[in-house]
Amino acid sequence: MTADGICVRGIHPRANRLVRAPGLEKGTDSGMTANLVNRNSHETGELGLGPDYTLCECELEPLKQLVARLERASQVEVRKSPSVCLTMIPAEDSLEKQKFFLGEALTTECEVAVDGLPGFGLCLGDEPVRAYCIAVVDALLHGDRPAPIEVEAFLREQGEAVARRDQDEFDLVLQTQVDFKLMEEE
Amino acid sequence: MGYVAVKGGQDAIENAIKLVDYFRWKGRTKPIELDQARTQMRLAVDRAMGEGSLYAPEHAALALLQVEGDSFEAAFHLRAYRATLERRYDAEILNTREMFVHRRISSTFRDIPGGQILGPTRDYSFRLLNPALLNASLGSIEKFLSDLRDEIDPNKLHEMTTYKKVIDIFLKEGLMSSQARPGEDRRVFDVTREAIKFPVPRSATLQMLARAETGALMCMAYSTMRGFGMAHGTVGELRVGEVPVRVVDKRGRLRCVGKIKVSEAEMVGGSGHGQGEGGGRAAKKTGAPRYSIGYGLCFGQNETKAICMGMVESALRNPNSDNPANNQEFVLYHTEVIEGYGFTNHLKLPHYVTFQAGMEGARRVARKNSDKAEQVTVSAGGVEENND
Repeated sequence: MTADGICVRGIHPRANRLVRAPGLEKGTDSGMTANLVNRNSHETGELGLGPDYTLCECELEPLKQLVARLERASQVEVRKSPSVCLTMIPAEDSLEKQKFFLGEALTTECEVAVDGLPGFGLCLGDEPVRAYCIAVVDALLHGDRPAPIEVEAFLREQGEAVARRDQDEFDLVLQTQVDFKLMEEE
Repeated sequence: MGYVAVKGGQDAIENAIKLVDYFRWKGRTKPIELDQARTQMRLAVDRAMGEGSLYAPEHAALALLQVEGDSFEAAFHLRAYRATLERRYDAEILNTREMFVHRRISSTFRDIPGGQILGPTRDYSFRLLNPALLNASLGSIEKFLSDLRDEIDPNKLHEMTTYKKVIDIFLKEGLMSSQARPGEDRRVFDVTREAIKFPVPRSATLQMLARAETGALMCMAYSTMRGFGMAHGTVGELRVGEVPVRVVDKRGRLRCVGKIKVSEAEMVGGSGHGQGEGGGRAAKKTGAPRYSIGYGLCFGQNETKAICMGMVESALRNPNSDNPANNQEFVLYHTEVIEGYGFTNHLKLPHYVTFQAGMEGARRVARKNSDKAEQVTVSAGGVEENND
């Protein structure tokens, strides 16, 4: 299988949801390929990973440091302290699309206002610090003014780090791909 | 007979709890750190999350540590913890086609879209104890990780990808239909919110199987293959990997909140519909038999559970009172881990009154029989006397 037949999971940075990232094209359907491709995501710096995914997956320490700096430059008000709750995860069978409830996931939520702009933090697990940090960044990203350069730089840097980590693990997974040979070929 | 409340044993109970800790610590071994349990006992953690019906790896690891590895108790603790929390969000439907695949195999086709990826598995290894683990150190772990990187074959690399599904091949050939079976109850039911009443909709079956006890589910699935059923599903596709979870936040925006690891099995078999289990529903146009799938999906890497869920789900769509695994009530009640574990363990609690009542009855019957026997002996003796 060549790189022509691959796709990436993309989260659009602005739409803040998993969508087909810019540069994604319909893949060729050779019967062995996936359905989307993103040939130049790394070359263009567009990693296809949005802020929420990055903020949920990045190392906590640099995120804390970023938010500590933001706190010094802005007025942060905690409107709802971080608290754990449940998120029900529905799934569906892959053929007939029968929806059912798979189970619940532990989730942390937090609400803040940064200079009056509302921010909402949500992440899986019992992660009060991360949820708070996500809420602060969310307020600055989705306010009525451009996001601070520092935040943009952080997201770019950490987005790349998360993508690299995912790719590194995927490289190892790919080493276990089976190369079938017919017995006569041996 | 009424119940008689008894009191006492409080000190004994408290000391029993302390004794649990005594047996845990008496060897003065180094405490296992939470991260160690979470990462080095990851399959036990995954199983606990699945049976506990709560995706929370740290809490599952804590539960396992607390209960010294007892999978039933770990699931019980997670369910109890879950019951203390408010459900504030409903995620978007999980899309397993977006899975960051760790492993995907198929038994139906050699060449599947994107190829077969074995991933982390012990399926092809000898089950021999490995004494080398006794000497594992941080240094040896670092060396292993570094060597693994050095061994990467660059010819096998490409960018991260998602994969088409094996069922797409069947769909393309018209050998599978994505249409729902006519007359099937497709209501979306939540067994954690409503009491079940048989027959339950398919959604309730899938939910209950996803949180069922792995061993019990395997017992049911195995029975369908061994003679108490006519199924021998084939693994159309088995996937393990991570899937993003998204929720709509309070401001109405769709947000990614992270990813969860799941195992998914699509067990291919005859549709069974209208022709009995194992038989295929014929396609309208071609008349060719059609295949269907039994669907399995559960938290974490628990392939046995996903496969068995698929097998049993398929069997339950074809009711047959002759086979336990084709009986919805039998399967769903008896694979429910907390119900089964709780009921079995309640046997250890005092049953003094009920048991005494039973014994009293037995004694009464014994006394009555003994009196009768005496009377017979006396009268028999009388006859003898008379005979004399």
